[in-house]
Amino acid sequence: MFPVLQSSLPYLLQGAVYTIVLSAIVVVFGTILGVGVGVLAAVGGKALRAAVTAYIFVFRGIPVLVVMFLGFYSFPAMGLRLDAYTAVAVSMIVYVAAFVAEATRGAIAAVPAGQLEAAKSLGMRKGMMMREIILPQAMRLLIAPVLNISLMAIKQTSYASIVGAWELSFAAREVVERTLAAFQIFLGVMIIYFVICYPLSLAARALEKRLAFDH
Amino acid sequence: MNPAADLASRGEEIVAINGLRKSFGAIEVLKGIDISVKRGEVVVVLGPSGSGKSTMLRCVNFLETFEQGAITVNGRPVGYKTTGGVRKPVSELENARLREHVGMVFQSYNLFPHRTVLQNVMMGPVKVKGMNAAKARDLAMRLLGKVGMDHKADAYPGRLSGGQQQRVAIARALAMEPSVMLFDEVTSALDPELVGEVLKVMRELAEEGMTMIVVTHEMGFARSVADRVIFMDGGVVVEAGPPADIMANPKTDRFRGFLSRHLSEDG
Repeated sequence: MFPVLQSSLPYLLQGAVYTIVLSAIVVVFGTILGVGVGVLAAVGGKALRAAVTAYIFVFRGIPVLVVMFLGFYSFPAMGLRLDAYTAVAVSMIVYVAAFVAEATRGAIAAVPAGQLEAAKSLGMRKGMMMREIILPQAMRLLIAPVLNISLMAIKQTSYASIVGAWELSFAAREVVERTLAAFQIFLGVMIIYFVICYPLSLAARALEKRLAFDH
Repeated sequence: MNPAADLASRGEEIVAINGLRKSFGAIEVLKGIDISVKRGEVVVVLGPSGSGKSTMLRCVNFLETFEQGAITVNGRPVGYKTTGGVRKPVSELENARLREHVGMVFQSYNLFPHRTVLQNVMMGPVKVKGMNAAKARDLAMRLLGKVGMDHKADAYPGRLSGGQQQRVAIARALAMEPSVMLFDEVTSALDPELVGEVLKVMRELAEEGMTMIVVTHEMGFARSVADRVIFMDGGVVVEAGPPADIMANPKTDRFRGFLSRHLSEDG
């Protein structure tokens, strides 16, 4: 069954490795940057908050494809010679971080006001309150949205081919152009993407359980 | 009444509220409150909902800002300092330092759900006061024993009943060894059969001579534990005095009406 898919599977899996590495970089650094920016906005002053809000609103309002193009063409204009992978990774990290920052802000705001009042009435200082009370509770609220954003990001790496970064979708199109067996190949690609994404959902669920408060 | 309180009637002033005024937007909820609480005194504040009693209490540890008047705890200004006739907010840090000496227990317990019972009680001494962990653990276990919760030291708050959570919350506040304890309708969210266990802990605290300001609807508690009852309505203190006097012979229609409405639920 599916002879073309079988013979081209090694080539597709090679592409999948690129997809996985690119995704991992984008998800890990995008999450770190996003959480950092979100926390900064929560503790920082007015100006910082306004800057973060602007950043979030701009990036939420443009397609990732456009961000990749902008990244790819604007870095050279700034005198930076980046290969397609780096350009895509940097663009996507900044893009993903905007969504994570917004989720972080939401998670921090979702910690009940009574928690802050209790912490305050113990005499806790602002930083301590953030570290000991707010963030531990916000992090748990953050798992589900960050999982969603990460799954989105993994699938969005398929746009990387547009600026010439070779990965799973790029490999698939090459095979299809050569063999014209579009159905078989994309069926295979679909399964590979699912196999990449599914464990992440499981991991997030396990993490959420582990961080539950009533063990 | 308890002997500690008799001594305290001549004791030093712990909390002083002078001419306190506060508005939420255009609505003035506190219209000039004067209350003085001496060491070892138990002051119970009664009043209908919306009378401003909780807001007054929350001003004492500056969870609420206020526009006029002054509050001191142990002689230190709360929230604002007046120098040369100019009223200025004090720094966040100064407010935090002051709150170390003011314990507060809330209607909704507000235990930290991500920490065990023991960790909840240890957190103040360890993180805020920098007490070493072994010493803080001893202190916390002693306080948990006192509120009858030492058997749940390693449980998470989510697994406890409301009454149990509230007793832990009292232990958490006591762990800071405060000069005064503020109780903000701490039994109002509890199932009726759980109210007694929390009131018992508060009664014991009062007998040990803890300085307390208690906002509550528990008439029985006011009558039997308070050194002084304050009745607030419409943002002012309407009546104040020993419960045996003013609860037996209310001078105003407002207090009389309030008492008769609450007699049926008297404990």
